[in-house]
Amino acid sequence: MAGKKASVWTSISFWRRSAAWVTGFATILLIWLTFDTIAQIRMGTDQELKEGIKRRIPAPTVVNYKIDYKYDEKRGLEAPVIGPEKQPLFGKELSAKEAAAMLHLGKLTSQSKNCMDCHTLLGNGGYYAPDLTKAWLDPMWEKTMPAMTGKKTKEEAMVAFLMHPDKYPTHARMMPNLGITEKEAKALVVFLKHMSSIDTNGYPRGFSKTIKEFQTGGTYAK
Amino acid sequence: MNFHMFEQCHDVACNNIFAWLNQGPLTLTIVLHTIIILPMFWIYFSEKKKLQQGKKD
Repeated sequence: MAGKKASVWTSISFWRRSAAWVTGFATILLIWLTFDTIAQIRMGTDQELKEGIKRRIPAPTVVNYKIDYKYDEKRGLEAPVIGPEKQPLFGKELSAKEAAAMLHLGKLTSQSKNCMDCHTLLGNGGYYAPDLTKAWLDPMWEKTMPAMTGKKTKEEAMVAFLMHPDKYPTHARMMPNLGITEKEAKALVVFLKHMSSIDTNGYPRGFSKTIKEFQTGGTYAK
Repeated sequence: MNFHMFEQCHDVACNNIFAWLNQGPLTLTIVLHTIIILPMFWIYFSEKKKLQQGKKD
């Protein structure tokens, strides 16, 4: 019977078809997003780094470059700026193989010493101790820590601190001595420098490098 | 901040559609919801037609 008055809202068929469409679309979208994310978080290569091709996670050899952190007007957030000038760790440039091995050891050390128990790394971990995501860029390591540890460079100061953190009163909640060896400490520095070069879409929010901004709370609030 | 739906992509990787759509406030959300909701109008009217013609599920 044509023109019959009927409510679609009470039709089981309507809800079944709508649910099938929404669920089906969401499933396909999530599968697509999964593969898209895999591509986005793939670590870059040394060649891409040399050619200046930006990746969210650069190759381990990024530790041979100077890493800066600047506010990107267009993106509206702070992003790492890699190179072009070099700044090798401990005065020696690492090959792709060496850098990858050091980064791996640094990651394993950070896991075995359970840094995340107190610190936050890339959004995961505790809030007891400072966030380590951009620790390499922390202005404290520019002058204060080399002076405190009696070392000349940032990386040497980091190694000295990591090996005997209980000697240096950096924080009201002092870091305990975790028995980190020199080799592990050097690898951790590579790990931390590499982590600071990862484009985290501005996380931690408002982290900034310059002393002036650091003194005003490390934000871009004017 | 801009409120344009489509802008030149400034993200790290611009070779995928999500980077382009995720640039303004809520733009990706609005696009995805629109894509999901629009075919539901078609489902609604086709069901209505079916019911008016007296067809059963």
